[in-house]
Amino acid sequence: MNDLLVMAQIAGRRCALPAHDVSSVIEVGAVTPVPRAPDFIAGITAMRSQALTVIDCRCALGFDPDNWPRDHRAIVVKVENYSYALRVDTIEDITTSAGEASQVPGGFGREWSRASTGMVETKDGPALLLDLPQLISGPEALAGAA
Amino acid sequence: MDDLLTDFIAETREMLEASEGEIIAWESDPSDRARLDTIFRFVHTVKGNCGFFDFPRLAGLSHAAEDALADCRSGRREADSALVTAVLAIIDRIAQMVDAIEADEDFAQDGDDALIAALEPGAEELSTGDAPIVSDESQSQETPAAHPAAHPPASALLDGSDEAKRPDNTPAPQRSIRLPVDLLDRVMSGVSDMVLARNDLAHRLRQAGTQPTIDGPFERLTTILADVRDAITRMRMQRIETLFSALPRLVRDLSADLGKQVMVDLEGGDVELDREMIETIRDPITHLIRNAIDHGMETPSNRLAMGKREIGIMAISARQSGNTISIVVSDDGAGIEPGRILDKAIAMGLVQETQRSQLSREDILQLIFEPGFSTADEVSSVSGRGVGLDVVRQNLERVGGSIKVTSTQDVGTMFTLQVPLTLSIIAGLTVEAGEQRFAIPQSYVEEIIHASSKALDFAQMGETALVTFRGNRVPCLMLTDVLDLEQGDLVQGQHTMVMLRLASGDLFALAVDRIHSHGDVVVKPLAPAVMKSGFYAGSTLLDDGQPILLLDMTNIAAEYGLVSDARSRTLQSLEETQDEAEQDTCRAMVFTDFNGRRRAVRLELVKRIETAPRSVIDLSASTPRAVIDGLILPLIGLPDGPVPSEKVRLLRLNDGSSELLYAVRDVDDATELDTALKPVADDPLIEGVTLLNGQTIDVMNGYELFARFGETPEAAEKPVCRLPDTEWARTILSPLVKSAGYTVANSADKTEDVAIWFDDEYEAAVAMDVAFDKPVIRLRDLPDASDSAETIYRYDGEGLVNALRQVRSAGGRGS
Repeated sequence: MNDLLVMAQIAGRRCALPAHDVSSVIEVGAVTPVPRAPDFIAGITAMRSQALTVIDCRCALGFDPDNWPRDHRAIVVKVENYSYALRVDTIEDITTSAGEASQVPGGFGREWSRASTGMVETKDGPALLLDLPQLISGPEALAGAA
Repeated sequence: MDDLLTDFIAETREMLEASEGEIIAWESDPSDRARLDTIFRFVHTVKGNCGFFDFPRLAGLSHAAEDALADCRSGRREADSALVTAVLAIIDRIAQMVDAIEADEDFAQDGDDALIAALEPGAEELSTGDAPIVSDESQSQETPAAHPAAHPPASALLDGSDEAKRPDNTPAPQRSIRLPVDLLDRVMSGVSDMVLARNDLAHRLRQAGTQPTIDGPFERLTTILADVRDAITRMRMQRIETLFSALPRLVRDLSADLGKQVMVDLEGGDVELDREMIETIRDPITHLIRNAIDHGMETPSNRLAMGKREIGIMAISARQSGNTISIVVSDDGAGIEPGRILDKAIAMGLVQETQRSQLSREDILQLIFEPGFSTADEVSSVSGRGVGLDVVRQNLERVGGSIKVTSTQDVGTMFTLQVPLTLSIIAGLTVEAGEQRFAIPQSYVEEIIHASSKALDFAQMGETALVTFRGNRVPCLMLTDVLDLEQGDLVQGQHTMVMLRLASGDLFALAVDRIHSHGDVVVKPLAPAVMKSGFYAGSTLLDDGQPILLLDMTNIAAEYGLVSDARSRTLQSLEETQDEAEQDTCRAMVFTDFNGRRRAVRLELVKRIETAPRSVIDLSASTPRAVIDGLILPLIGLPDGPVPSEKVRLLRLNDGSSELLYAVRDVDDATELDTALKPVADDPLIEGVTLLNGQTIDVMNGYELFARFGETPEAAEKPVCRLPDTEWARTILSPLVKSAGYTVANSADKTEDVAIWFDDEYEAAVAMDVAFDKPVIRLRDLPDASDSAETIYRYDGEGLVNALRQVRSAGGRGS
């Protein structure tokens, strides 16, 4: 299977998102915070007339975002008709996958196992393939699922 | 009405199409309960809709079918093939009648009775033998598609191709096409993007300075865009009024049928929602109203016996909050008795006897939404088969809505419907709290008050803050606390209070830092993770493209326990009126009169505070008068001598019928008088003395004021004078009469206050025994009086005016 993947660094790890789910990469403008919402929801921002929910992927996985740099761009994905802007360390490149996602013995660690479907080999080396619905439901939902 | 009719036809057709498969399946297995329910609902809905229109035959047919099917549902009767056939024949007949209605043709009169008779349990013989229509029907079932369009009543429904042919021979009144909603959404968001792009461009153009070659076309673009946006918006939206407008008639007809008196109270008709959504809630609301009037409302005599008003109130209100619209249908009828619901539920096997004590009152009430539920002892033609409410809930849940019922026995029942509205434009108020902006749906906003105004009377009770609004203590939430935001730079008491009224009728205050703007906002849905927080109903974009959050006031209020579910709105409004009445008795307007004395007059007497120029005050009569709004009103409180200032403050007092002006030097404020009144004996105009901030203050005696000086404004209105019907009177006399403060009677005026007659005509009339019940002024042609008769020379202007004045003051005193 040769799918296009968007490569990004999240919490210092290389991750891949299926390009099919990614609608665009945008410069993040003003983000309106959402009081009383979970931490991983950084706020909402506008993409043209559309409102996007900004998700900090580091938080959503259960890491502290302050430990890593933050790309000024965000990856816009669409999950169940809602659009999200994903904030990551850096957005790297688009590449093709060189095989199916596979598991490794011992797993990827508690945080990562929940939000990824497995390891995928790419031209640029291996990366963790992210499970978007799991990712955007945040650390609490992940904990519940585990 | 034509729109409604088109809707009715389209809806019936749609249901026919949808139930086509069900009907065939039911025929193959008449004991299939689910199919039976579907078909039952179909005939029930048709019957219900017929209530809107005058289609007695349709109603008769569907009622008969419904009766038979209800028997099957309740197990009183076994569904056999004969019954299936008969019901199908009726459904076919309904389809044909609908076609005839659409084409505006008369439908053959005969056959209905035979069809209805065929439903009778023992009517098999009749259905197969005597009634050819029905026997034809049973054959047609075997080869449904084979029938051409012009066949006898039976198979119209099952013949799908038949439907398709119909539009050819029926003229379409208005051309319309159906579009997928997705496409509409795309167009709408495209237009929204265009508007933002335009704003951006406008910004850049402004920076670049005036460029006539670009500005012209840009202006045009702006106008076109505004038009397109408007049209696009209207494509989807409709005021809920279109639904409401049919309700008063429905309520009237239903209540007349049932011998009840019901008044309908509609609120929130300007709430706009998707056309689709209006269609979805049309049936549920109709059902609820039917149920309420049939079961809830008592007969006028029962109501009187209960100590209620003879006329029941059916209140329907709509509110919008982001992508939810809540509709409250409430009545002040008998309410629902949980015991009876529970008994019935146990009898139906919905609930086990052992659960009886475990269920809360709330839970029990919600049982009425279970399929097949009905507590009505008698089945009437209006409702009472327990079909309404399960259909209602099903329809609402299909679109992601919900329904809840609360009821207080003998006080009323309130149904709260919540339907989502994923895309909508609402009027919103933009507020700021803790450096961040939020939008509040305007429909909740009752009033905006600056907390600095004394009237609010901010009080901290434990953890809860209270403000006083129109004499009531109302809970107050700080938006910064609610959202856990940084406290702004404002100190307590400097906030702006937004008074919000929920659909349930509960009132509370929301303290915000400041108000920004209000205007239409396009509500966008929020991601589920954000919605879960429960504080937001959606998001919207500011003009500069920055997104802000729309607050979900209902949820926030619920979170803080400010929503009273158990109380019905009807009860609450009753309480509020009482509260107000109690509160008002001790509220007063404090003023300083021209003698420098501080006095107070009860606030409910004060209609308005007027500021009148000196010129409207007339000191010539025995009591001073002033003209306010074209009314001549008695005026008291002025000092002796000339009017002291160019402009005078007047308290306009009103006792319900009479009015009175009270001139004052200064109006202080409305205040509450909390200390008891000490009666005063020497001045009858003073009711008593009380203390206000340590000073004594005289409270005016309203009774004495009006008894002595009050005049009904009608009497002070311009009296009517009837003139002789001559050219001279019309052109020369009438200006004089008008300047004397009279209106000249025209032919439409039946009565007059005074009539002017020429003396010769008057005498002729007297000679003919015409009765004069009103004063008459007689005019003579010659300057000198020929005899002692009370006549006035017709060019004696002064004399005429005096005569008219006399009549007026006599009339004024008389009434």
